[in-house]
Amino acid sequence: MTRRSRSGLLLLALTFVAVGSASERETDDRGVLLAIAQAPLKTRSWHNPYEGQPDAVLAGKKLFLQHCAECHGPQARGIGRAVNLHLSAVQNATPGELEWFLRNGNLWRGMPSWSGLPEQRRWQLVAYLKSFRR
Amino acid sequence: MCAALTGPRVAAAQEAPYFVAYSHHLEEPGNLEIEMNSIYGVQHAGNDFIAPWIEFEYGAKAWWTTEFYLDWQGTFNDSALFTGFRWENRFRPLLHEHWINPVLYVEYENTTAADKTMIEVVGFDSQADHAVPNSRAQKEHLHELETKLILSSDYKGWNISENFIAEKNLGPDPWEFGYAVGASRPLRLAVTPESCNFCRENFLLGAEVYGGLGTSWNFTQAGTSHYAAPVVAWQLPSGVTFRASPGFGLNSNSHPFILRWSVSYEIDRFAHRVRNLFR
Repeated sequence: MTRRSRSGLLLLALTFVAVGSASERETDDRGVLLAIAQAPLKTRSWHNPYEGQPDAVLAGKKLFLQHCAECHGPQARGIGRAVNLHLSAVQNATPGELEWFLRNGNLWRGMPSWSGLPEQRRWQLVAYLKSFRR
Repeated sequence: MCAALTGPRVAAAQEAPYFVAYSHHLEEPGNLEIEMNSIYGVQHAGNDFIAPWIEFEYGAKAWWTTEFYLDWQGTFNDSALFTGFRWENRFRPLLHEHWINPVLYVEYENTTAADKTMIEVVGFDSQADHAVPNSRAQKEHLHELETKLILSSDYKGWNISENFIAEKNLGPDPWEFGYAVGASRPLRLAVTPESCNFCRENFLLGAEVYGGLGTSWNFTQAGTSHYAAPVVAWQLPSGVTFRASPGFGLNSNSHPFILRWSVSYEIDRFAHRVRNLFR
């Protein structure tokens, strides 16, 4: 293999890595991760029944430590491919989009579906995630 | 080494409490669940038995769970023996949640006719099969391919799962069919802010019904066994889950009573921990 073809292959590999990483972290025009923004439009108007309830934030934190911290870290700052949940690309999402995303996951990218948790618990998790913004 | 593998952990499974039916909820990717199960069976015209099995369930991907089983049994006034192994894989073909979520299940079984774990009931399985003395039953080796179509839904905190089972002995025998249906719900849907062991949110209650459906030569509900069984699970915040299920035979081909119980422990990010051991 010539030096030129080796360089070409290296460039191609780097392009694939760059495109792969970019597509995982790409955002829509609101600055929301595309993986979350693919939620149906109707989810944007969904209201969190626990919004403004301090107990729900604490309950959500408990659920986060039980189910999510192993990948996203105990401070939700992200580990490896698991995103930092304090990022505006997550925080810009509406509560409904986040609930939808928790229910569906992103199975191909390694985020499991949390549909096994009752809806109430997913909303408690959303209440906790949204508390990062304060 | 064990401490490094099991170390501080907080992961908790979101699985349904069934012993026979499967829901569409798979193991979280990278997590390993180790589960010790047992069944006690009351035997007509024979000796009662206890059949334990151990499961290693690993989340290979968010859409793929693989599981390895080792089976034993002990029959009162007879003997105790290892009865074989199983390797199963479950795949989610649809990547989003729907009203009904399908999962495809493929399993290879290498067991003997002395296996009494009753992880599923198919064909014309009957309680009389378990009355055969171990010395004779263990001579019959079974190499089987088992497939399942798992359909499962979550609605208002309930999980409802329906499984259709098709099992084929890798020989001239016909396909054997079976079914399992389950429904379950946590006792409390939202969680409390405090960490607690005995609060209602940690308990799941449900029931499952399962049985045989004959073979490809004779598809029928008659002449095979059927069971109904309430199930209860207690999920501790530490990641340990206890389950129990008394089962009742619904016809004369069934064991009049069976009791299943299990304890499981989930190790989060298992592959990551193993890699760290060798760094």
